[in-house]
Amino acid sequence: MIPFDAVIAVALITSAFLSIILEENIHAVVFFGATIVLLSSLYFALGAIFAAIFQLAIGVGTIAVFFLAGEMLSSKKPPKQTLRSKLIGVIAALAISIPSVTLSITPKIGGTFEGLEFSEALWRLRGIDLTAQAFVILVISIGVSIILKRRRS
Amino acid sequence: MDYIILSLTLLAIGICGLVTKRNLLKALISVEIIAAAASLNFAVFSSMSGNPLGQAFMVLALSVDTTLTAIIIALVIVAYRELKTIDIWTLSKISRARREKR
Repeated sequence: MIPFDAVIAVALITSAFLSIILEENIHAVVFFGATIVLLSSLYFALGAIFAAIFQLAIGVGTIAVFFLAGEMLSSKKPPKQTLRSKLIGVIAALAISIPSVTLSITPKIGGTFEGLEFSEALWRLRGIDLTAQAFVILVISIGVSIILKRRRS
Repeated sequence: MDYIILSLTLLAIGICGLVTKRNLLKALISVEIIAAAASLNFAVFSSMSGNPLGQAFMVLALSVDTTLTAIIIALVIVAYRELKTIDIWTLSKISRARREKR
């Protein structure tokens, strides 16, 4: 019986590799989207539910922006990439995913940390960081819109 | 199944893309893959130790990563509007030529 997380790991590495090697921007973005979804399902498999949901929520927005950018920035004539080179890429990706499934280097962690909920860790221990970061994100989003507007005018 | 090796593999793929690709969008995807490798480590060690603080840090890291992506995409679009290319080498050549002209 092949473990579920091993299958996800192989698919994750393959899609990440294809998102790099494919010449067409839109195809690369599609495989990058698959990478995000697979990463999120890996977090689910690890038991990090909040991280998985957050990754998925952020990934949706990122992929939408990437799609738009990829469509805008694609050249009119599609790049020439043969099916053979794509197949070689898939085989190479499967080959480099073998060590993560077969080898093991993760150290044993001694004591486990009990008695702290995720919400408590986020709000009580990192609450100021979170608030400051929200402010930084707001400033950056305003800055980005100013850059785009000024250049257009 | 080893998550650390998986993370290292993702990091290697990202660095490989960053070094070999001339397209700015591909370079950005490579940076995203490197960031995904880093956040995978947060999730793995958080899950292994049972400490949810790792997940909290991961949430913060993902937010920063997304804002970084927004800035880079804005700059890529501006570069494309001005110079009609997203090839890193061509952009570098154009900027060098402009500098020499001044």
